[in-house]
Amino acid sequence: MKLPLKWLKEYVDFNVSIEEFVARLAGRGFEVAEVIDEMPNVKNIVVCTVLEMQQHPNAEKLTVCRVDTGADAPVQIVTNSKRVYVGAQVPVALDGAVLADGFEIKPTKLRGVESFGMFCGGKEMGVTEADYDGAGLDEVLVFNEKHPNGQRVQEAFDMDSVIFDIELTPNHTDCMSIIGMCREVAAALGQKFNEPVIRQVAGEGCINDYASVTVKNPELCPRYCARVVTDLNIEPSPKWMQRKLKSVGLRPINNIVDITNYVLVEYGHPMHSFDLACVENGSIIVRNAVEGEKVTTLDSKERTMSESMLLIADPSKGVGIAGVMGGENSEITANTKATLFESAVFMSANIRHTAKALHHVTDSAARFIKGVEPVNAMLALNRAIELVEELKAGKVIGGTIDVCNTDINERVIKVSCSRVNSIINLELSPEEMVNMLDTINISAKAEGDELTVTIPHFRTDIQSDYQATWDIAEEIARIYGYDKLKRTLMVGDTFSGSIGSEFKFEDDVKDTLAALGGFEVYNYNFISAAELDVLGFADSDERKKAVRILNPLGEDQSLMRTSLMAGMMKVLSLNNSRKTGFGRFFEVGNIHIDAPELPKQHKRIAIALFGAEESFFTMKGFVEQFLEGMNLDGSITFAVSDYDYFQPGQRALVLSGGERIGEIGTVHPRVLKHFELPAGAYYAELDFDKLFKLKKDRITYRAIPRYPIVKRDLAVVVEEKVTAQTVADIIASAEVAPIVEDILLFDAYRGKGVPEGSKSLAFSFSLRAEDHTLTDEEITAAFNKIIATLDENGAKLR
Amino acid sequence: MLEQLNQIKSETLERLKNAETESNLEEIYASTFGKNGTLTQIMRGMAKLTKEERAEFGKTANVVKQELEGSFAECTLRIREKEQQRRFEEEAVDVTEPGKRSVPMGHIHPLTKVYREIRDALVGMGFTTFDGPEVEYDDYNFTMLNLPLDHPARDMQDTFYINDKVLLRTHTSPCEIRALKTLKPPFRLAIPGRVFRVDEADATHSPVFMQLEGLVIDRNVNFSDMMGTISTFVKAVFGDDVKTRFRPSYFPFTEPSAEVDMSCTICGGKGCRVCKGTGWIEIMGCGVTNPHEIANCGYDPNEWNAFAFGVGVDRVASLKYGITDIRLQYENDARFLKQF
Repeated sequence: MKLPLKWLKEYVDFNVSIEEFVARLAGRGFEVAEVIDEMPNVKNIVVCTVLEMQQHPNAEKLTVCRVDTGADAPVQIVTNSKRVYVGAQVPVALDGAVLADGFEIKPTKLRGVESFGMFCGGKEMGVTEADYDGAGLDEVLVFNEKHPNGQRVQEAFDMDSVIFDIELTPNHTDCMSIIGMCREVAAALGQKFNEPVIRQVAGEGCINDYASVTVKNPELCPRYCARVVTDLNIEPSPKWMQRKLKSVGLRPINNIVDITNYVLVEYGHPMHSFDLACVENGSIIVRNAVEGEKVTTLDSKERTMSESMLLIADPSKGVGIAGVMGGENSEITANTKATLFESAVFMSANIRHTAKALHHVTDSAARFIKGVEPVNAMLALNRAIELVEELKAGKVIGGTIDVCNTDINERVIKVSCSRVNSIINLELSPEEMVNMLDTINISAKAEGDELTVTIPHFRTDIQSDYQATWDIAEEIARIYGYDKLKRTLMVGDTFSGSIGSEFKFEDDVKDTLAALGGFEVYNYNFISAAELDVLGFADSDERKKAVRILNPLGEDQSLMRTSLMAGMMKVLSLNNSRKTGFGRFFEVGNIHIDAPELPKQHKRIAIALFGAEESFFTMKGFVEQFLEGMNLDGSITFAVSDYDYFQPGQRALVLSGGERIGEIGTVHPRVLKHFELPAGAYYAELDFDKLFKLKKDRITYRAIPRYPIVKRDLAVVVEEKVTAQTVADIIASAEVAPIVEDILLFDAYRGKGVPEGSKSLAFSFSLRAEDHTLTDEEITAAFNKIIATLDENGAKLR
Repeated sequence: MLEQLNQIKSETLERLKNAETESNLEEIYASTFGKNGTLTQIMRGMAKLTKEERAEFGKTANVVKQELEGSFAECTLRIREKEQQRRFEEEAVDVTEPGKRSVPMGHIHPLTKVYREIRDALVGMGFTTFDGPEVEYDDYNFTMLNLPLDHPARDMQDTFYINDKVLLRTHTSPCEIRALKTLKPPFRLAIPGRVFRVDEADATHSPVFMQLEGLVIDRNVNFSDMMGTISTFVKAVFGDDVKTRFRPSYFPFTEPSAEVDMSCTICGGKGCRVCKGTGWIEIMGCGVTNPHEIANCGYDPNEWNAFAFGVGVDRVASLKYGITDIRLQYENDARFLKQF
């Protein structure tokens, strides 16, 4: 919302600094996003008088001038302008001056003659014909009246003011107008708001002889007001109006169009004017469009309507799309003799759908979408007619058509003062509240604890139902000043507060992974179809069922990830290509699997390793150490898996008591290629939720062993296909567990001394009894038992 | 014999004085106190003396023996110290050479660090964590929060839709509905999580970002309590010198609503590029929970008072660590991550 300071001052008299102004408005909930100079960028351009002119010695088209800039000595300026003459007053950009486009002026030599500046036209200063007569010429501007030499052009053009760009919250639709904003500014500054009184123009004749309005769908059009003006005199609007329109960024067109735009800015209500001659019988019908009905709008585009859209029509054709844009067939032209001004209320939701469906959100539509109100519709129409008369733009016809199907009476609500006080922790008396509300034009009466509040028509944000109490509490707090409200700490029930076991577990997961050298990463939840594809999930794998976003930022971000792998591969790829020198990353994040109603959400832990020193076994070791660090119930085992995104022969499931809790493997070359990675990437993904379930409820201390440990090694030869886990399982089945504390594979050997197709596995055993020192006999007996069991299962002692 | 004894004494003392190494010592020990050592020999010779002479000599010999033993011990100490000194010199290193590292250190992401700080400050004030799904019902994300279909304020948040009824949550607020539907008030909740908005990634926007929502519902809490709670935890995260400012604002799910600014941590409030010269930085929105939301969840808004606030964790991280581009947080360059 652009609020020119000059316009504001017409209605509110004040004198505070800009900083103070900005702070006071912020205190009321209005953020001044920018304070814009009326002549943006322009610096050091001043008025000068041309004293002498001489032909340039080396250039036929150039003239060397000496000008009086108010300084002690004249300044030499070289120009090619033919408009300049001795005695003329023109704007000159001196050394260091900045033009409207940001260009900086420096002294220069033109064909060997020094020029200490440049004469300016309107364009260089960002000044238009609307601002100053003659500024529209593509020429040096010559002042029409006398100015002191050296005067800043801002003063000379009376454009030395500022325009506030105010950010409005969507509830304050009343402030999307100069009038509404002035009302709030006056209250914020403690000044009186001199609200303009609109003069009723009676007009001559009767509107019913010229036009009629029928509203077929009052739900979508609760109010439609119209007046007619004949004998139009279409011409440019006066300077003052053009300047004001320009100051809020609107382009002047002609008096009639400018009036509707001016009223939109001033009163915040969008209006439209039809060429009445183009409306059959002057008969306006507001109705739903017929499916497929076509209307060509003012921008010469043919638009196809659907049944849900509201059309402004005459008996035979559409003449405009309600609230969005008028029809080309009834546009105001230089030949228009009579016009019908429309000031209506259209339902926000419907306009929103129409504008979105037509991909055409005009300024007018945007305003309807934000919400307009019926009382203001009539005010705006009256103001427009007042302007028509003031501008002598035509003959105003008597009477107003007002098709009103909505309650335009002021709403009255009852609010408990004590409840308002309790919401904002104040102890204001009802009378104090009445006085406070009065400053923002809300009238209220106090009776005991009860306030009877009359809601002004422009405050559509204040609700009529029980929310009204909270709305009034907000108004009171806003007027009182948020900065003056007490800051207290809560009293009442005590709360212990807790991180929560699952969030605590997540902390532990991350801290443990970081302790192992992992860098935590955050990836987006979005992946592309190609990425999902390259991972090659089997048809039966639920991870193939990705949730699709209807309106993604791009096809490459159109699916919700069903695995964290793609994101992690991108992390490896980025760090590889940038040669950051680090290759251990992890992420804890959610995946989503398509399902009826809401998708299934699972939390996953991803680990990705990359680099020459990494291998399947460093990945496995990482996962083992991580799981060990998490203090889980039960033991973890690994089994061969067949997931296609891993290299065959180097992929495994991570199991706990037979349940799959994750997977690890060497990334498949196909996946590497897709993510532009060289060989040497390893990946693991673990199920956070399952790990959390395995978390030990409590840790119980176990006595430290008192008797010594005995270490023995043993090597067996088995066929290549027999896994280390199988051999370990066989050893475990020997039922010597009470004294075998730990078995660890420490070497796998293939080659000399071991038959082709077999391998030698060397295990280290730790043996201990809890209650005595083991004897040689016990150890030998246990080992014999182990050897015998191995033997029975085809594993020969080496 | 006494003479001999004295000679042994002086010779041994002399030898001890000159001893340099442990093996010198061993030699001296063997040749003096050993089986065939001089002192042992002479003491053994006492047997030939008369009873009186023996007593006399024995006394002297014992004194000498003790004296020599004492000197021997002293000498041992001296040599060992010297020996150790030599070893130290031999083993001396250049302490400025780099250390040998085992596993390279890992790092926790700045978003996690900041989220934990905020959360822990809230837990200290009696808040408990709560979680909800990232893919949500439109109903919970908007309608139940007093944002019915076609509410103009829905345009404030550009939403990723899955279908008519399901979307990627645009804020953590739908968890308020989930909490009010499943937990029994009074409670104080801290709700962290990822949220999504249709925004192309640039220096200040990210389509995925992290929020932390606070929700308090109790019989007697009010707007002042909200202001006090927020200013306290902002101090906990940014330090005691940080000031907070509350400005009126609008959110459909709160009434009254406020925007919270904190004094700029870069310039200390004097005005700089980060705070655009204002000295203040916007960090969160908050307000008294809209009575419709309370009523939508089956509670009487005149009996139960609630307030809520939502902090952008990414924004706080950016401010806390001076990160000028939000994209860095989701790019995952190790050189960025290792700084935290």
